[in-house]
Amino acid sequence: MDQVKIREYDKNKNPFRLFGAHVAAVGEGIKHAIKPKTITLRYPDVSMTLPTNYRGMIRLYKDVCIGCSLCAMICPADAMKMTTWEGKKLPQINYGRCVFCGFCVDVCPVDALRETRVHDAAFQSRRELVFNPDKFNQDFDQTLPVKGTVRKVRAVIDENKGIRYVPDE
Amino acid sequence: MTAQPNVFTMDATQIDIVPIEGELNVGPQHPGSGHLRIYVKLNGDIIEKAELDVGYVHRSVEKLAEVRNYMHLIPLVERPAILDSIHMNLGYILALEKIMGVDVPDRAQYLRSLAAEINRIASHLYGTGILAVFLGHSTGFMWGFGDREVWVEVLQALTGARVTNSYIIPGGVRRDLTPTIKEMIEKAIRYQRKRIPEWKRIFLNNPNIRARLENVGVMSKEQAIAWGAVGPNLRGSGVYYDVRKFEPYAAYDRLDFEIPVYKEGDAYARVHVRFNEIEESMKIIEQIIKEIPQGNILSDRFFKQIPPTRLKKHYETHGKIVFPGYYASFRPPKGEAISRVEAARGELVYYLNSDGSPKPYRLRMVTPSYRTIYVFEQLAKGARYADLVAIYGSLDYFPPEADR
Amino acid sequence: MMDILQDIKYVIFYPSFFVMIIFPGLIAGGLFVLFAIWFERKIAARVQMRVGPYYVSRFGGIAQLLADAIRVALQEIIIPAGVNPTLYVIAPIFPLLFAFLPLAFLPIGVIPEQGSVFSAYYHSFFDPGVNMGVIAALPTEYSLIAVLAVEAAYPIFIILQAWATNNRFALVGAVREAYLSVAYDVLILMSVIATAVEYHTLDVAKVVQSGIPGIVANPLAAFVFFVGLIMATSRFPFEIVEAESELVTGPATEYSGLLFLLAMGGSYFGTYVYALYFAAVFLGGWYPLSGFPGAVILFLKAAVIVLFSVFLRSVYGRYRIDQALRNSWRLLLPVALASIVLGIVGGWLWIR
Repeated sequence: MDQVKIREYDKNKNPFRLFGAHVAAVGEGIKHAIKPKTITLRYPDVSMTLPTNYRGMIRLYKDVCIGCSLCAMICPADAMKMTTWEGKKLPQINYGRCVFCGFCVDVCPVDALRETRVHDAAFQSRRELVFNPDKFNQDFDQTLPVKGTVRKVRAVIDENKGIRYVPDE
Repeated sequence: MTAQPNVFTMDATQIDIVPIEGELNVGPQHPGSGHLRIYVKLNGDIIEKAELDVGYVHRSVEKLAEVRNYMHLIPLVERPAILDSIHMNLGYILALEKIMGVDVPDRAQYLRSLAAEINRIASHLYGTGILAVFLGHSTGFMWGFGDREVWVEVLQALTGARVTNSYIIPGGVRRDLTPTIKEMIEKAIRYQRKRIPEWKRIFLNNPNIRARLENVGVMSKEQAIAWGAVGPNLRGSGVYYDVRKFEPYAAYDRLDFEIPVYKEGDAYARVHVRFNEIEESMKIIEQIIKEIPQGNILSDRFFKQIPPTRLKKHYETHGKIVFPGYYASFRPPKGEAISRVEAARGELVYYLNSDGSPKPYRLRMVTPSYRTIYVFEQLAKGARYADLVAIYGSLDYFPPEADR
Repeated sequence: MMDILQDIKYVIFYPSFFVMIIFPGLIAGGLFVLFAIWFERKIAARVQMRVGPYYVSRFGGIAQLLADAIRVALQEIIIPAGVNPTLYVIAPIFPLLFAFLPLAFLPIGVIPEQGSVFSAYYHSFFDPGVNMGVIAALPTEYSLIAVLAVEAAYPIFIILQAWATNNRFALVGAVREAYLSVAYDVLILMSVIATAVEYHTLDVAKVVQSGIPGIVANPLAAFVFFVGLIMATSRFPFEIVEAESELVTGPATEYSGLLFLLAMGGSYFGTYVYALYFAAVFLGGWYPLSGFPGAVILFLKAAVIVLFSVFLRSVYGRYRIDQALRNSWRLLLPVALASIVLGIVGGWLWIR
């Protein structure tokens, strides 16, 4: 056991120091008002590309799948279910239940599942959230209903600003 | 509320006299963070009694645990304290590993500590932000969340998800530390170090905030022990206690760090403890990055079960562990285990009882916020009404964590 | 034809109408209050690593407030069960009115005998104290205290409003307002007394025309008045009455729609009017200009004060009610007393 050091905070309540602290606080506010450290992403004008190993929406490679049902077994939320599809046992996913833990991807012995970096999606009904093996077999792509082009950016950690967004090609 | 008499027709004797004693119903949807109702009995401006009506966000985690298998529980146990998910996950895995008798490689231990400390910083910033908005200091709120974003970004790079990390698995961790992430963490630490003086000027040393927090919700050393306070709240009252020191888990026995303890026991001391812990956590992270040993990140017992082709494709190129089929459903031996971790809000206890089936017989979690309920009710007694939120915020109470 | 135009011009520029309705009254004041709220949100966003209003209109979302105001104004007005509907509806009008009404006594400029658009009213608005006409809705030689006298009625109507809504949170807020008014009214009054003693007058126009800004003549009084101003109009760090995390919105809790707008507008209008007063008494007002340009100068000075006081939101949290009272009685009252002494000395030795 190392030395126990019990600290105390500074209790000085001299009116002049109090006034000084007020000035310091207001000064800090003015400093930030003049030189802001904005980290807000101007979504949807600007959209973020997620890092390569991000656990986003999952896609299936139907031809690779061997129908072992390990993914359905390990799924903590019962989102992944095995169905018989065109005479083959294949998984289907319900994104209404999926928690994006990525266990199914990691447990698949033949790499028939892969995580995509897509996470932004909107659906009209709950039925659409269930992806049958055919729909599951494609890269999920949904264009945002925004006028003009959406700039893609990548978040980079910056020493002064916290997070900086750099254009992503 | 009684119906109001018509002022234009009534005579003087009919005037309702508003009693100075009354009740206020704070919540359950509160502008700060509360998903709980506080039933406050007031006498003038003084609180006579504050009753916490817990259970508004109850999710029945303990009961659900009895019908899920062990891997399914990893995302589930994270949910009660989503902003502190690494610790919730870690405590559960530690208990499970005790039952299974798995030894975890060194590198994985260090990575667990790394993720836990990053999460601790993020969680403390979140807590400070919530406290700030309770005091009406909206800048502290936004700064807390803004700075937390940096650490969440780091966690996302490390684990692949922002807050629902599910990073720690029986026998190790899921992803390895890469040089890119190392660089990110170093930058994040430098950023946070630059921010702390700014935080101090606008929030911590701001006379307004000091006035609101000093001598508010004072908890003496004896009271803190008797009421069962945990974590920063306990250490703010001058009790030197931290599971990381007293019962080291992960890599904490090999790391050199201090436990900030403050003597005063008021809300301001608790905030100071949190800020000092952020600084200590950054020191720990720096040590981990420097000292982390080479090696596997998954216990050999499971590592050997991974097919070599997959190992090559995922682990050796991307540093990503893939699961052997074993994980899909396994039966740990009969037995019971208890684990303790120092989560961001305090000591988190898991009790796990296995009957040899793929599902636990019983999972019990004692969360730090659960133990804060009583502390809060005691501290609120005799405080001013405006102090209710200061006490609430300074205890860093997180309703879903208490409700589970 | 020319006569009619002349008549219209005469009516429009008639100080009583011009000051209250056009500038710096209802129209200019209303637009400026919307701008101030936009500024409050935008500057807080800059400090807080955010963007703030962004989409509505090209320039920094400046029309956002207009959009919000229209939306809120068109919302349904819900009248809770168990309140007196008449009282409930008329109650929020009074605070707004009494925040705004003091403007009637405040001179916003002086009228030279020739050369200004206001010169036509030189004789009807003649102020013997400064030997010139003054642009004021109700010219009086006691404007220094007349403004405060009317403004002092403001908290009473806040209490009425809270009582009319029959809500516990509103009542707690109203009680806080009542306590707070005891603190700030004393401070404001004492700093004004210091100024009055120093300038030997109760006429704002005379204070301004002396050519010495109050902040130079008596910095202590200016400081005390500024703190009192922030307290009186519930700006941070004294936003105790509306304390969102404790009292929902204080006295305005039950209001919705247009009534909410009225209930919340009072404090901003109050800030604006107090700021005009502060600019006139302590910041040199319109001096050395006269007529309309002078009024614009006064307005700009007041604008800076309002914008600074809304900026404080991004620096401070809120004090507790007892702390606000204690600070004002224990720390600021001695300063206020010192300002009176300074006023006496300054009036005796310096300003004749």
